[in-house]
Amino acid sequence: MAGATTAGRAHVPSASSRHFLRLSATPGQIALALGIIVFLALFLIVPVGTVIYVAFTEKGTGEFTLVNFLDFARTDLFIRSFWNSVYVSAMSVVVASVFALPLAYITTRFEFRGAMLIQTLGFLPLIMPPFVGAVAMLLLFGRNGTVNLLLDEWFGIKIPFMEGLNGVIFVQAVHYFPFILINLSAALRNIDRSMEEAAQNLGSSGFRLFRRIVFPLAMPGYIAGASLVFVKVFDDLATPLLLNVKDMLAPQAYLRVTSIGIADPMGYVISVVLICMSVLAMWISARAMRGKDYATVQRGGGGLAKRRMRPWESVLAYAAVLLILLLVLAPHIGLLLLSFATIWSFSPLPDAFTLAHYGRVFGESFVYVKNTLLYASIAGLIDVVLGTAIAYLVLRTKLIGREWLDWAATAALAIPGVVLGIGYLRTFYGVQLPDGTPLATLWITIVLALAIRRLPYALRACYAALQQISVSLEEAAENLGATKVRTVRRVVLPLMAGGILAGFVTSFATAAVELSATLMLVQSNADAPLAYGLYVFMQSAAGRGPGAALGVIAVLLVAVCTFASHMIIEKSQKAKGAGR
Amino acid sequence: MNQPFPISELGASAVDVDIRNIGLSYGTNHVLKGITLHIRPGEFFAFLGPSGCGKTTLLRLIAGFNEADGGEVLIGGQDVSHLPPWKRDVGMVFQSYALWPHMTVRRNVSFGLEERKVPRAEVDRRVAAALELVGLAHLADRRPSQLSGGQQQRVAVARTIAIEPKVLLLDEPLSNLDAKMRVQVRRELRDLQQRLGLTTIFVTHDQEEANTICDRIAVMNDGVVQQVGTPMELYEKPANLFVANFLGTANILPGRVVREGGQRFFDIDGGVRVPIPAHVVVPEGAKLVFRPQHASLTRGGAGDVLLPGTIVHSEFLGSTLRYVVRIGAAEVSIDTPFHSGETLHQTGSAVEVSLSLRSVLWLAI
Amino acid sequence: MLRHSVAAAVLIGTALFTGTAIAQSGKVTIVTSFSKDVTDPFKQAFEKAHPGVTLDVQNRNTNAGVKFIEETKANNQVDIFWASAPDAFEVLKGKSLLQKHKPKAEGIPDKIGSYPINDPENFYSGFAASGYGIMWNDRYAKANKLPEPKDWQDLAKPVYFDHVAMAAPSRSGTTHLTIETILQGEGWEQGWRTLKEMSGNFRQITERSFGVPEAVNSGQVGFGIVIDFFAFSAQASGFPVKFVYPTVTTIVPANVAVVANAPNKAGAEAFVDYLVSPAGQEVLLEPSIRRLPVNPAVYAKAPADYPNPFKDPSLGARVKFDVNVSEKRTNVVDVLYDQTVTFQLDALKAATKAIHDAEAAIATKDNAEAKALVKEARDLVAAMPVTEQQASSPEIAGAFTGGKEKGARQAELEQQWASFAKERYQQAQSKAEQALKLVR
Repeated sequence: MAGATTAGRAHVPSASSRHFLRLSATPGQIALALGIIVFLALFLIVPVGTVIYVAFTEKGTGEFTLVNFLDFARTDLFIRSFWNSVYVSAMSVVVASVFALPLAYITTRFEFRGAMLIQTLGFLPLIMPPFVGAVAMLLLFGRNGTVNLLLDEWFGIKIPFMEGLNGVIFVQAVHYFPFILINLSAALRNIDRSMEEAAQNLGSSGFRLFRRIVFPLAMPGYIAGASLVFVKVFDDLATPLLLNVKDMLAPQAYLRVTSIGIADPMGYVISVVLICMSVLAMWISARAMRGKDYATVQRGGGGLAKRRMRPWESVLAYAAVLLILLLVLAPHIGLLLLSFATIWSFSPLPDAFTLAHYGRVFGESFVYVKNTLLYASIAGLIDVVLGTAIAYLVLRTKLIGREWLDWAATAALAIPGVVLGIGYLRTFYGVQLPDGTPLATLWITIVLALAIRRLPYALRACYAALQQISVSLEEAAENLGATKVRTVRRVVLPLMAGGILAGFVTSFATAAVELSATLMLVQSNADAPLAYGLYVFMQSAAGRGPGAALGVIAVLLVAVCTFASHMIIEKSQKAKGAGR
Repeated sequence: MNQPFPISELGASAVDVDIRNIGLSYGTNHVLKGITLHIRPGEFFAFLGPSGCGKTTLLRLIAGFNEADGGEVLIGGQDVSHLPPWKRDVGMVFQSYALWPHMTVRRNVSFGLEERKVPRAEVDRRVAAALELVGLAHLADRRPSQLSGGQQQRVAVARTIAIEPKVLLLDEPLSNLDAKMRVQVRRELRDLQQRLGLTTIFVTHDQEEANTICDRIAVMNDGVVQQVGTPMELYEKPANLFVANFLGTANILPGRVVREGGQRFFDIDGGVRVPIPAHVVVPEGAKLVFRPQHASLTRGGAGDVLLPGTIVHSEFLGSTLRYVVRIGAAEVSIDTPFHSGETLHQTGSAVEVSLSLRSVLWLAI
Repeated sequence: MLRHSVAAAVLIGTALFTGTAIAQSGKVTIVTSFSKDVTDPFKQAFEKAHPGVTLDVQNRNTNAGVKFIEETKANNQVDIFWASAPDAFEVLKGKSLLQKHKPKAEGIPDKIGSYPINDPENFYSGFAASGYGIMWNDRYAKANKLPEPKDWQDLAKPVYFDHVAMAAPSRSGTTHLTIETILQGEGWEQGWRTLKEMSGNFRQITERSFGVPEAVNSGQVGFGIVIDFFAFSAQASGFPVKFVYPTVTTIVPANVAVVANAPNKAGAEAFVDYLVSPAGQEVLLEPSIRRLPVNPAVYAKAPADYPNPFKDPSLGARVKFDVNVSEKRTNVVDVLYDQTVTFQLDALKAATKAIHDAEAAIATKDNAEAKALVKEARDLVAAMPVTEQQASSPEIAGAFTGGKEKGARQAELEQQWASFAKERYQQAQSKAEQALKLVR
């Protein structure tokens, strides 16, 4: 809790400006830092602060108190929820690792046909439209889903994939494993081949080699991905609620914040706990990674060499990859079936297929598609600009307290969308434009909320990209007479381009299917993004098919954009030659 | 470890390496073309050649990282051609050292022993012995990133010899060191190899490195072994122009053989004629090859020929003077000992180069 | 702030005009919990009847809608609040967020069943009626060989164990009314007993009203306690589901209200008037909507099997529903249910299962001692931490209003109630297990 309050304070410019003005920073850097602080304060800290300050006030008097946190600790339900959340998050990391490790290893260390396709497909689960994804999963893996109906018919057994906490772990692992896949693949690609060969030469092979040498070397990438998974699962409320698991922290916060007439502080207390846990997890992972950026320390050596697999290895690898892809893409497969299904109820497959759902959404989905592309692109753009700026300030300047920029932006990861949404309404509804329209009713508010929510993703990508660029390249430019600004523009940014684009893609893709904050902020159907349209459809029996169709459109849309970006990254990497 | 030098801990009986008709190609790119070599037990052997000649590929093939298209590799009489790297028992020191940054020096060195399920006590003993051997026992708990380049190199060696490999492979182990360290470390390596009696193969592009520490050298170019021999043999009797040129400086004068009245002459392109001694075999299309020190600018002894030329360049090298002299269409280097008080010939002055025909080589290729 | 808003305005450029409210004809902004299936036909019909007026329909669930109007009241942009649960309207009315309007319509009675159609003070008006009942998936029931239920009590039978779903009353205004109906119909003690016996059979308690029909439609759960139109519209879409009104049910109106300080008051009132006009009432008969009109005359145009609460005495006639009683204890009832059932569902189910097993054993082999133990177990399950009087008392109700006065904190009470329930469920389970041992 203390972390959040000090985090808040560190960003109030008045309290820290004296420190910021000292030391070796150029006026431009200080101005940049102040600009970011103002942005974060305006669109993150103040709105969230207006909501969660309640957590620290006493009922009736409104005075500052910590008794609410004591209540939290004394309530069995919350403590149970807390441990359930920790357990589910940790296990999700484990299961997600089981999905991600083979995919990452096989595609990066072997000659494997379709490696690029797998990397792209492996990204898809992140683009899981709300509601329909869970419905599709239930239709496939639920108690009376396809798999269990068939198992019951053939063997008389059912496997409780989707029951209770295990169900949450399963769905979350499928949903978030790409974070590990992406980061781990990057780390594996950066391992010097001689590291592996030296171990083989000394008699190590197979799984032991992987466990003792390859995996430890890829650890920084793995930790980066795993901590993201942990935090996202810890803070996600939609999946547990859709699976009817309520005794976890994020759902508890949501249920309390959104229930009518319940103006008690516990919802906000839980939000504070969520934020603290997330910041703590990110901090621990940062500590664990300190001084372990192995991938780039080695010079010379062959770089990445992909080994050719023996026939039986190939068979095994393809089987493993296919099985994993089938599992992690199950929601999308289910979604596709659902979008073509007439009726799908208590049967392994839909009764019949139809194109009618696409017909129904075709006309009205255009405005959603347009809005989604517009909002997600602007949000992604804001994110990479901020992400690059923060990464630069943290890694390349000596501004005092610069890490707090990083922490504050990362804390956004932990803020439940609904808290942010309410905060925006409270903060910006009173602010009027010249013609009397409240600021909060403009669609740009949705964009800002999306940008804040997805900033951590872009920030991590930009951060990693900058970290891999040797400072000497910048020094060389400065030595030849380029100013800091021109160095950034002509040397740093071009070298970071791949990472920045990756950050943009992640922010864009996940923002495109974001619902929780937008639901609160959508002011008119004409301004609504796809996810909202989907939500509206999924409120009725007749809307299930059209909702699924809209979901498929959303996934396709984002997937095409993602694939295009991958191609661009690949091309630019090739153009730069071996430049890793 | 109280014993100063527990060689017995690590010494292994030396084995030979037999490379038979190894070929390797990537598509149409033939990297190795029918390599056949025999490396004797306990020998310090070098693969020498310019970059891209296939020497590292051949070394990696012995270690098992590349598989040959044809031919076999025998280590101590055992065919290892199809064994994976981890079953070959050949120790390799990588050019980049490939020390694992997440492990301490001690853990790096003990790794191979642990993989071999050696009992803990023995692992400790052998790690200590290996580190003692390279003089790094006091740094066992450091991380590789905390060591200097020379120290890292020695850890890499210790890590390799700790497993008591049958053969030690060194892939340009000195290339990441500065000039002074290089001289010191190569002596240490030689010293170590001598004490262990370990069959060692050393890959380098630097002839001086190869000459100073190796028993025998295989000179490679373009995927083919050009010549095998001791450093002196290779220098004195290069089998072809490539070897002559690659080891030390060689003056190569193109021309053609002419016969006049039972006597053979070599007409150097540009007009100078040299008699060919009767017993010498001169292959078809041969060129006249000699080392800079086998000629002088002072009139020599019997059997020498005099070649008129012009000095185009001169260098003072300390103990010697080097002149570059234009003879006919070619330029040759001549080294003469430097005597105190001597003055250099002026550039542009006409001289006569005295060439000892006994040291001349006639090489066609 | 101002400078920023100007910057934002510049940033978004031409897109500005879409947000501008236009008087009289223009745009009517509606916040509703109704799905597209309901709102689209009305939107079309209304816009046809009132050319020049467009409806902008914002879909939010009831709670979020109330929260939204509350949060944005300082600069309200919403004209109409349109939802089922009368409670939500009571909350808005209590916070002075609604505006009085008496629709100009004829032939609409005062009551439907025992429930008044309109707010006596005219802050909101009923436009349709719905009843609660049991919906089930026919394929599921057949596959599991389950009988068709007829009444609430049926769902408490052992055969339905783990086959039933309901939305949490704290999350679904309609479910809250169902609970309140049972509590008022059977009395506090017996009502909770019935509720807990039913709840012991629950497979899930969802946090969205639509979560229940969704689960039944897809066959993940067999039986659901739902509002009728969920079942009707699912049937209309072709899902293999059936529906029954239990004998003790109440028919309650779905409502519409003009929001206080509506930017387009005239347009808003025109919409309310349209909803209760005969033309608007007829829209309710569409298969995708299937709600019960509040104008009895409209039923003449309905299909033959259409339920008619004005003719069919079984529909809601047996229950007296007192809005005042409900209003006073809304939060307490919701939190009681959440703390003793929703969040203790595992313990409650374990106790219920043990009781079922014991009773099944006793049925084949009578044993007085075992019977007594089972009765004790049932009483333990039924026990509630607060009485009816306490539930409506200002001390307890005050803990949930976030009121200005110091008092018991919600979290404290919740913890007490939760541990009260949990302890008793565990005791009940061990007593039932003891009973089972006796007859084995």
